[in-house]
Amino acid sequence: MLNKIKLFGQRNKQLLGMIGAIAVMILVLSITVENFMTWTNITNLLAQVAPIAFMATGITFVLISGGMDISGPSVMAASSVLAVAFITSFEVVTGVHLVIGCIILLLSGGLFGLINGVAIAKLKMVPLVVTLSMMTVATGIATVLGGAKGLPTIPSTFADIFNKYTIIGLLFVITWLLDFILTGTAFGRKVYYIGNKEETAKVSGIQTDTVLLKVYILCGVCAALAGIANVAIISTARASMGPQSQILDVVSAAVIGGVAVNGGKGRVRDAVLGAFLIVGINNIMNLIGVSDYYTTLIKGSIIIFAMGIESIKTYYSSRARA
Amino acid sequence: MEKKLSLQLNNISMSFPGVKALNDVTFCANPGEVLGLVGVNGAGKSTLMNILGGLLQPDKGAEIIINGEKVKIKNPKVAEELGIAFIHQEVAAFDTMNVFENVLAYDLNKWRKKGSLFLNKKAMREEVKRHLEALDCRLDVDTPAHSLTVGEKQMVQIARALSQGGQILLFDEPTASLSDNETQKLFEIIRNLRSRGYIIFYITHYLDEVFEICDRVIALRDGQKTGEAPVSEINKEKLVDMMIGSVVETAERKDVRDKDAVILRVENITGVKFPKKISFNLHEGEILGVWGLLGSGRSELFNTLLGIDRKIDGKVFFGKNGDLKEVTQKELYTHVGYLTEGRHHDGLFLDMPISKNITSSLLSKFASRLLGILNTRRENEESRTIMKQVNVKAVDENMIVSKLSGGNQQKVIIAKWFLKNPDILFMDEPTKGVDVGAKNEIQNLIFEKSENGMSFVVISSELEEIINLCDRIIVISEGKLVGEVEREDFSKKSLMAGIVKQENNYEN
Repeated sequence: MLNKIKLFGQRNKQLLGMIGAIAVMILVLSITVENFMTWTNITNLLAQVAPIAFMATGITFVLISGGMDISGPSVMAASSVLAVAFITSFEVVTGVHLVIGCIILLLSGGLFGLINGVAIAKLKMVPLVVTLSMMTVATGIATVLGGAKGLPTIPSTFADIFNKYTIIGLLFVITWLLDFILTGTAFGRKVYYIGNKEETAKVSGIQTDTVLLKVYILCGVCAALAGIANVAIISTARASMGPQSQILDVVSAAVIGGVAVNGGKGRVRDAVLGAFLIVGINNIMNLIGVSDYYTTLIKGSIIIFAMGIESIKTYYSSRARA
Repeated sequence: MEKKLSLQLNNISMSFPGVKALNDVTFCANPGEVLGLVGVNGAGKSTLMNILGGLLQPDKGAEIIINGEKVKIKNPKVAEELGIAFIHQEVAAFDTMNVFENVLAYDLNKWRKKGSLFLNKKAMREEVKRHLEALDCRLDVDTPAHSLTVGEKQMVQIARALSQGGQILLFDEPTASLSDNETQKLFEIIRNLRSRGYIIFYITHYLDEVFEICDRVIALRDGQKTGEAPVSEINKEKLVDMMIGSVVETAERKDVRDKDAVILRVENITGVKFPKKISFNLHEGEILGVWGLLGSGRSELFNTLLGIDRKIDGKVFFGKNGDLKEVTQKELYTHVGYLTEGRHHDGLFLDMPISKNITSSLLSKFASRLLGILNTRRENEESRTIMKQVNVKAVDENMIVSKLSGGNQQKVIIAKWFLKNPDILFMDEPTKGVDVGAKNEIQNLIFEKSENGMSFVVISSELEEIINLCDRIIVISEGKLVGEVEREDFSKKSLMAGIVKQENNYEN
């Protein structure tokens, strides 16, 4: 039994570290903030994390495969605007329209991902450049479709269905599901193989470009899920709901969660916890009145610090090997 | 050359952990002479060159004497100061710069105007012109490097070597990427340099070139000097004899081939550069050797067959019990395994556990049909079984592969392909960089599997290995099939005859 616990600890160092950090954060917050540990406050916070967390699950796959996708927030905004534009184009909006709207949202997210994927996996273009361009394209689409006045609001039925409890529930289910796909299925294993050494994966008979294509589609769909959570909060959609700078939060969530930026390592579960940590840090800094300028500065430093630790670890372990 | 130039190497040995890369090599080089250095892959040529270049330090007792003085080449900088310069096989140039900037790129500080940050471009142009004219090369010094041909880039490299004050020039496979015309031009330059009294080393695999350009030749084998002779006194057969030496032949291999059942037929397969129109048959249970020198297109043959490189032309047929059907590269790949030459490059997932490495060849075996859910426990169990069978020495199947020794890593790759249990296993240098014990184990594993009906195609640079292992050997040179030898006719002579025959064809 003791051995089993030890083994679990060794294999889940990252998870335990994350839980520890989050516990410390909660402790600090509950001492400093009045009424922090109330049911409403906690659930509000969880729902607030959801958009970043959804995007973090998607980018975890991309990062583990050794790629990069920075178009997440823009794709989220563009897909949301598309869906809301569809829903609000009807005089009388019924439930059917809302359902179709959701489907459109998810499909368009997947479509953006597909375009990224084709460019990267099939045409062998550089991921950062492809998704950077996709980011501006998607923002452009959202801005143009959203119009100067902005889109009208959608019926509150949408927000009633996707209330904070459903969003939190959805977040847990999706996290569990994607974590299982990554660690428990052949597809997930292939993502690790590719991230670890793409050449070996190819020689082993793995169709690397098909796997990568799926990874980018998945990332787009995850951005669309974030879109659903966001649309439920503001009841409409606009380009500004996915500020391009938000990708920093998404990537830092994954990196703090121990996902290796150069591929091969990480888990969805830990990246989602990373999202909690990042949003928590944002909130703490808000509460104690740190200016926005410092907030980005501190967050950027955290990413570099987290990546630095990883690099130093690999440096020393490779030296020990030699 | 006012001073009398000379280079003497005495008792050069070089030990790596477990291997003696060079063993007591002694020779001298004279000015005004092109000294050829030949040997098969792994003979110790590069090690010797790296010692001269200051990249490796020889074992105690070695002496390098230049111009009568004993020197110690501690690092590449020292080598440069001693006038040792390399002209590499891969021609490197700064593509966005001009010819003269490329030639003088090694020491731009020297060309700064006095007390200024700017370069004295006029003086630089003059200097480079002088060197290029000495080489009898009419190349405009302002040409951007990206518009140069490979041959011209090599001129730039030679000019650089000369402007650095190089007196001992080492040409490492210089013609590997040159056209015939460029090669002739290069030879003219080498002769020119020879007449001006430089010491010139010429390393090559192409035996023809030895006879064309070299005055004297030294052969290395397994780190030892196995022959030294003026080129005028030997012929190709003699040279080959020096390179390959005698081979201990053992006969433990039973012939288990099913000569009627062809499992793979390749017709006129042609790739981008290599191979060129190669055809052969592979029988069930056969171990077919592919023999050729480095650069003969052996690995390219595998890559083109298996769809890793592009196939230009040719057909591939595959089928069991003699029932052959034409297959695409993709279809063929489902029936084969491919142990590549670069263990760390495309053989292993170094940061992953042994079990996940092993199961990567046939992941579908452990995945549920509909959702692809993996059965990790079965993965581990089967990995353990096959690790035992192949004798991988490790704590358990969860050990990270990068922590294993080279021989054990190689066995992990073999285990990986044995798990897939393909009909044909392609192996490129299956025992490269593994110790003798593991080498024998790997050979026995190949025998065992072939007796159970698996077919093998094996590339090896080691003649002894290929002779012990294979039932039949095809000889490849310059991307072409130049010979085929059955086991009963195996001898180093017959294999070398294959290569020599091709060289003669090449001349015609």
